[in-house]
Amino acid sequence: MARTAQEVADAMFELVKEYQGKKKFKAGDLTKAMIEKFGQADCDKQLCKTAIRTLMDSGRCVYTYFGGSFIELPPKEGAEGG
Amino acid sequence: MATATDRRTDIGPPNYSRFLPPVIKKNYGQWKYHEILKPGVMVHVAESGDKLFTVRAASPRLVSIKKLRQFADLADKYCGGHLRFTSRNNVEFLLTDPSKIDALIADLKAIGHPVGGLGNSISNIVHTQGWVHCHSAATDASGVVKCVMDDLQEYFTQMKLPGKLRIALACCLNMCGAVHCSDIAILGVHRRPPKVQHDGLNKVCEIPNVVAACPTAAIRPAMVDGKQSVEVLEERCMFCANCFSVCPAMQMADPLNDGVSIWVGGKVSNARHEPMFSKLAVPYLPNTPPRWPEVVQAVRTIVEVWAKGARKYERMGEFIERIGWPRFFKLTGFEFTKQHIDDFRHAGLTYKRSAQLRQS
Amino acid sequence: MADSNGKQTPLLDELEKGPWPSFVKEIKSMAKESPMCQDLLGQLEKSYGEKRGYWKHGGIVGVMGYGGGVIGRYSFLNEEFPHVAHFHTIRINQPSGWFYTSDAIRTLCDIWEKHGSGLTNMHGSTGDIVFLGTQTSELEPIFKELTEKDFDLGGSGSDLRTPSCCVGQSRCEWACYDTMQLCDHLTHHFQDELHRPAFPYKFKIKCAGCPNDCVASVARADMSIIGTWRDNIQIDQAAVKAYADGGMNIERDICGNCPTKCMQWDGKTLTIDNSNCVKCMHCINNMTKALRPGKDRGATILLGAKAPIVDGALLSSVLVPFIKLEPPYEELKDLIERIWEFWGEHGKNRERTGELIQRVGLGNFLEAIGVEPIPEMVAHPRENPFIFYEEYLEEGDEEE
Repeated sequence: MARTAQEVADAMFELVKEYQGKKKFKAGDLTKAMIEKFGQADCDKQLCKTAIRTLMDSGRCVYTYFGGSFIELPPKEGAEGG
Repeated sequence: MATATDRRTDIGPPNYSRFLPPVIKKNYGQWKYHEILKPGVMVHVAESGDKLFTVRAASPRLVSIKKLRQFADLADKYCGGHLRFTSRNNVEFLLTDPSKIDALIADLKAIGHPVGGLGNSISNIVHTQGWVHCHSAATDASGVVKCVMDDLQEYFTQMKLPGKLRIALACCLNMCGAVHCSDIAILGVHRRPPKVQHDGLNKVCEIPNVVAACPTAAIRPAMVDGKQSVEVLEERCMFCANCFSVCPAMQMADPLNDGVSIWVGGKVSNARHEPMFSKLAVPYLPNTPPRWPEVVQAVRTIVEVWAKGARKYERMGEFIERIGWPRFFKLTGFEFTKQHIDDFRHAGLTYKRSAQLRQS
Repeated sequence: MADSNGKQTPLLDELEKGPWPSFVKEIKSMAKESPMCQDLLGQLEKSYGEKRGYWKHGGIVGVMGYGGGVIGRYSFLNEEFPHVAHFHTIRINQPSGWFYTSDAIRTLCDIWEKHGSGLTNMHGSTGDIVFLGTQTSELEPIFKELTEKDFDLGGSGSDLRTPSCCVGQSRCEWACYDTMQLCDHLTHHFQDELHRPAFPYKFKIKCAGCPNDCVASVARADMSIIGTWRDNIQIDQAAVKAYADGGMNIERDICGNCPTKCMQWDGKTLTIDNSNCVKCMHCINNMTKALRPGKDRGATILLGAKAPIVDGALLSSVLVPFIKLEPPYEELKDLIERIWEFWGEHGKNRERTGELIQRVGLGNFLEAIGVEPIPEMVAHPRENPFIFYEEYLEEGDEEE
């Protein structure tokens, strides 16, 4: 069954939450993980793209940058500034 | 809480056509030829016979809104409110009435902005943020540029060089700017391996990412004082600072060892010779703020050797290729050292592989 | 000179001297009304004394929904210089060709005066308008006011960086395609890729109208789009003669510098063997009234330039020798998407397109994006005999 962007966004959020502090995900990592989870037929790249936008627009995750852009839970500002 | 979707997003930049002067709108794609009238001033002539005069002035790139408003006022006074900036951070005023050119130049000079940078001259120095704003700078950017251009200003305001000369500065090897293909490149360098801050490294950085960041495989996972961290095989480190880019706990800045290297002979244009990378002329000069006299002197030396010896139109790299690198080092007096010989990927391609040498 | 706070900056004061425009004067000009600029001067003076920078890695801040356009910046010396504790950069997508009206400049200044340090870069290395130094709380208000005035943020992080272009047909007779229109078109078409980082690393596009490459695309852009032509250089023989009469040594300085020696000057007529012209621009650059690029114009597309980090610097290399570039640019956009598809699938974190091509081999890369190999793509064929074949014949197989 084809998935909705909201469903995929929710699944992405759960994945990010589960690995917070252990692994950082790039947008491409989340896309690959979702295609694997839901199957190519029900969840393609375009849907994942929409899902990422849904996820980021909701404010549940934010983009971070450490020599590359990652998608993470909103951190406390300045805390990781080294 | 407001969500992102309530807002205006993804509109992109305003379309350029809103900002073009009428003479450009009318003659877009219909320009016939151009001529440099005097230093910093050129005219473009359209098929229709219309003329567009450009006055190019220097800028420090870091400009305040007060200065920008002054530029806007000058554009109103002389150009019907039209101006633009160049790919090398100069500011250009676009006029249709040539009788106003000298007054504009005088007004620009009065606010401290010399006119020039066209034709066989040094254009502005493309540069990065340095200590003004960057976390990874091995030297300052704006300050070094200011000192070098204070010294070379005559080559900006006059057209007395054999060809074009493009100088660029990057304050670290990330090179936010095309310094690696410049006639003269000034490049901030580190010379000491990262000081690893083992405390909390594992919290701030993913260790596999830090290990993978090293192009020479000098970093490996290690337990230090019972903490998960990394160690650096110092003899393999060539100070690129890529590990620091992915992990703030790999501190690179080191006042004792940071400094400046100088590279020569690169170009991006296809005119005559194909584009080429800049090559190492001086591996290290110390950071000596506020005026960096060693860097200023080295750059002037290179400029003068080229200006004296180059044929008409010959860029730095073409000139050095013609006279040979041994003579370049002889003429500049720069010492040739072990550091000048490449030892990274494909280094062997840079060895001299023939007996074609000048023996006298 | 002391600033309004009475703090001394003797080292920076040295950079107010000399004929070249001074960035220290620019910062000081704002220091009276901006505590941020005062503290910036203080921290910078300290850098000058200690020979090191004091900015931390940033990287958490942005405007909602976007992953690009804001560079987070924090000071290590936040107690000593509290007004630059936050000092974030905002990248604003410049209009194609960096043209402005005085009103547009004032609009940008007014927004920045209200919400930040008042310091800018015109422009950043990639081409954006750069607003230098503000606090997290000001980001959303700035974004709102910018978009109300039809400006949007540029790229940063692992995304499509703000495309840029030369002045092109708006002022240059050599532009072989409409660089400003193409740049604007691609920027608008790929807004999602620009604002929401989904790539292995950055991707830069630069549009140069002719092989002089005034935007340094061959050195700086993952995709370098360089204007060229494939018919004959247009010659005005009378104008050539006028250059000769004016004292130009055409034989030595023009013909002698031609990389393929495809030109001859007999004192009366300039002849060009156009089939051997490599469009270097030298003769056209120096005889602007007499020579012009041909009329059958388009562009060469090259791929893969980058600075040294991580695996060494690269210049772009030829992917498409000649392409016509007319709206709606479908062929080009389709090519770009095929490149991104393969790179997105196989690129490692922080691996640029050029490095990926080095790693997998140009031949394999071409196969993956569906482009035929042609000799224009190489300086010369391979010199080493270690040739890969994917298949071999077994006894009894029929030869094709």
